[in-house]
Amino acid sequence: MKNFVPEEIVVERGSEGSLIYRNLRLALPQVPFRFVEPDGQSPWDGVLREPPAKGRGSSRRVEEISAANGNGDFGAAKKKLLLTRHKGEFLKKCPGSEGQVCCNYYVVNFASNCSMDCSYCYLQEYLAHNPALKVFSNVDDLMTEAGDLLTKHPRFLFRIGTGEITDSLALEPYIGFAREVVPFFAQQPNVLLELKTKSDCVEGLVGLDPKERVVVSWSMNPQRVIDADEHGTASLEERLRAARRCQDAGYRLGFHFDPMIEYPGWEDDYRRVVEEIFATVDWRRISWLSLGVLRQTPGLKRTMRERFPRTELLTGEQVPCPDGKLRYFQPLRVEMYRKMVAWIRRDAPMVKIYLCMESKEVWERVFGYAPSCEKELGNQLVNFGF
Amino acid sequence: MYRLALRLKIGENHLRDLMDWLEEISLRDGLPVHQILGNGAVGDVESDPRLGRADKLKRIKEQVRRLRFPRLAQTEDSIRARIQELKLQPEIRLTVPAGLEGGRLRIEFDVSSEEELQRLITKLADLRGKEAVREIFDLLAGRNPAGE
Repeated sequence: MKNFVPEEIVVERGSEGSLIYRNLRLALPQVPFRFVEPDGQSPWDGVLREPPAKGRGSSRRVEEISAANGNGDFGAAKKKLLLTRHKGEFLKKCPGSEGQVCCNYYVVNFASNCSMDCSYCYLQEYLAHNPALKVFSNVDDLMTEAGDLLTKHPRFLFRIGTGEITDSLALEPYIGFAREVVPFFAQQPNVLLELKTKSDCVEGLVGLDPKERVVVSWSMNPQRVIDADEHGTASLEERLRAARRCQDAGYRLGFHFDPMIEYPGWEDDYRRVVEEIFATVDWRRISWLSLGVLRQTPGLKRTMRERFPRTELLTGEQVPCPDGKLRYFQPLRVEMYRKMVAWIRRDAPMVKIYLCMESKEVWERVFGYAPSCEKELGNQLVNFGF
Repeated sequence: MYRLALRLKIGENHLRDLMDWLEEISLRDGLPVHQILGNGAVGDVESDPRLGRADKLKRIKEQVRRLRFPRLAQTEDSIRARIQELKLQPEIRLTVPAGLEGGRLRIEFDVSSEEELQRLITKLADLRGKEAVREIFDLLAGRNPAGE
């Protein structure tokens, strides 16, 4: 996996007393640090375009500067790291996709954007107007907020993930976020924390006791797809080795075949990945496994064409779906899911498999049933996890 | 492409679809766009003197769509063939959604009398158990009927 060495770390005043700051200083001594006022100086001097000043003496806030930067600067934004305090709520309900079966998942955003650069990444569109690679320094506020929520609903079992708008572990060697929060979540009786990654950065996790409350999960694809479209991520072998280390350290595991890519020979490649997973880890330690085909909005498709003109991902037989996203036409993707389920079931007959962002019709055709509501799927997953 | 766009006076939306599809076929098959357009089917439509400009555009777009989405087009053709096999009265229309999304078969009919309604219901009831109907649902569900 490619090491992340930012060109500069920009620290918003107020964050320099944080543990994340100290960890960054220790891990990246060779990188220059620059300090900015929360509502003043631009952290992007020399890298990104700046918005026009509103008038003499007006301040240029981080949000305005980010907003002035379109897709062309998305890659540039990954070269600097901004350490800042998060001002809003950390915990949010995963928005899912309109009309699709949802898995009742909560997300904690401890960072925004990602140091890796997958050509299909939805963040290219989702964060197009706010592409700064940010890490939030007030981790104590995050834990207080999560603690309050978990205490307030003691009979509800929560699934909380940190990998929605960033990779959960790619920055871990530099920021030590997971090292900080895993012991906290491990103490909570009613939560499963999922750390979702394409990295192999698990060194900081293996000495901790997750007490069955932490699932480390990997986004999986054949090496061919990783080489072509998952730039800067860990290889398949590195991901599997990291999964084994986490299993041995007492973590539960998850695997996400998402996005699955259809191309000539995909069956052999994906079947082999499934076989390699079960040859490496004990399927009884797997909390869940998800499947989801490549999907993108027309806007994301345009961005992908601009940023990755040679990617072959956009040559698949994708059609518009009712939620506005393009997916492989339904009979094709149903066939893909069915094959994957059969390969997985052969080695792991009881493992929980679910579909990500798919309609009830597709669920019924793949599994013969569809969850009646999002709570049903959420409960099933959390029960498999515990 | 430029020559074709001028000759057929292709509007912006159609042109965008065509250019996207051609670019994607080119990337997928490693062929230059002029070679894709030189493909027999597209060339035949363009030079057919019996067709007007709008019909030519419609057919060329369909040909390019078939090249861009070959398996989708093949599945749609197979479903269409099964529907024709059923030899339904013209008052009954069986259709599938665009792009086959949703995977449902739509049945529409219109009648002008109770007797006609009874006749069409009987005809629809006759569809039960027919091989072609089972195969339509197989195709919509991503299962290939035997031999395909």
